[in-house]
Amino acid sequence: MLKSIGRAWAAVPVCIVLLGTGCGISVPADPDGTLDRVRGGVLRVGVTENPGFVELPGDGDPQGTEPELVREFAAVVGAEVTWVEGSERELVEGLKDGELDAAVGGFRDDSPWQQKAGMTRPYGETVDEHGATAKHVLFVPEGENAFLLELDRFLQDRKQG
Amino acid sequence: MSRPPARARFGTTELPKEQHEALLRAKRLEWTSIGSLSVTVLLVFLVLGNSQAMKVAWIEDMLSLLPPIAFLIAGRFIRRQPDREHPYGFHRSIGVAHLVGAVSLLTMGGILVVDSGINLLQAKHPTIGGVHVVGETIWLGWLMIAVLAVTSIAPAILGRKKMEVAAQLHDKVLYADADMNKADWMTASAAIIGILGISVGLWWADAAAALLISVGILHDGVRNLRAAVAGLTDTRARTYDDRAPHPVGQRVEEFLTGLDWVAAAEIRVRDLGHVFHVEAFVVPHEGALPPLGVLQTAREGCRALDWKIHDMVLIPVEELPGQSGHDGEA
Repeated sequence: MLKSIGRAWAAVPVCIVLLGTGCGISVPADPDGTLDRVRGGVLRVGVTENPGFVELPGDGDPQGTEPELVREFAAVVGAEVTWVEGSERELVEGLKDGELDAAVGGFRDDSPWQQKAGMTRPYGETVDEHGATAKHVLFVPEGENAFLLELDRFLQDRKQG
Repeated sequence: MSRPPARARFGTTELPKEQHEALLRAKRLEWTSIGSLSVTVLLVFLVLGNSQAMKVAWIEDMLSLLPPIAFLIAGRFIRRQPDREHPYGFHRSIGVAHLVGAVSLLTMGGILVVDSGINLLQAKHPTIGGVHVVGETIWLGWLMIAVLAVTSIAPAILGRKKMEVAAQLHDKVLYADADMNKADWMTASAAIIGILGISVGLWWADAAAALLISVGILHDGVRNLRAAVAGLTDTRARTYDDRAPHPVGQRVEEFLTGLDWVAAAEIRVRDLGHVFHVEAFVVPHEGALPPLGVLQTAREGCRALDWKIHDMVLIPVEELPGQSGHDGEA
């Protein structure tokens, strides 16, 4: 019994990979196809104010280091950016509901929102007022791994570049 | 050479050469297990990410540390000699270790089943991004698969070896440990399948794999708990793998009924851990009590049958008590 289960199991990875390559999916894949949609399309980015990182001038596009990062990434994937303002909670909910593709607001890798949103790897570090090192990340929808990997690669190349 | 080194002992029982060597081998194997598991726990922790299946496999690796530790600690206790406070010796420490391990497995298995089930119901999409390795950003999932595959090799080998030693030593904790090690590749495969699932965009594959592994842990807990409770409640002594009643009981009974002064014999065997405690009731022919020397010879004859017959009491009676007469189990 156990042995036959074992043998059946051994076939599963083969099936998954065949299925994957057969359908022409690149791995890892996005369950909701974020990267495919963004590439050559529209990148919907949520922003919340955080001095230095994200500044919202009221008229015109958001400024600061993070909107700049987003614009560079959008250029790499050939996407046009649309900005959506909101509180942290609204942005996290927007990511969850599939209304946003990314969110910026000076978020850190130890953010309490990590249970609700996906995060990139830290793109940079700062030292806060208490002398602690803060690692900065961008928020992404949970489980959109192809998109996340593309963004992580961009951030890593930029860090080195 | 002045004196041959003393053989290892289980309380007052000196082990035969084969068991003595098996015990030393078992200890080496368990130390090796602890070493290899510690490396595994560290490696898996480094690539843990957001995968529920990885998390569950990681907790299982940590739980796998319990049986080797229990074996080694119990091994120290059972060497002690019986004393006034502990007239039966310390053999039961194995049973206690077994029970504690079983309860931990059961509790953790239960928690993980619920946790993974909730993850599945909430349709939580596992987020696994890139990781920077030697100048290249690769998907962390591939690294997880590599770690799972590599770390599943050692338990498979160790499990097989422990199984042999468990049989020689009649050690149920070691057997349970070996059995879990042997099944460890299934945990690794389930987790790998879960991550391959994520890689092609099947978000539920991760939680489903985690649920499967958790059910496996729970199952191990239930099985071990039954075995441990059976041991501690003095059920009939069974072989190390619990497949059949241990043959030693029947051999003692046959030996005693074969003696010319014995009309009938009935025995009770309880499994103390490695060794057995045997109570034998004998009815002498025509109710004539043989001289003490004859009783002594009969007792020594029984003990010579198997090294596991550690403590043996021989009770001449007028009539057999008859409790162990019927086969309770079907």
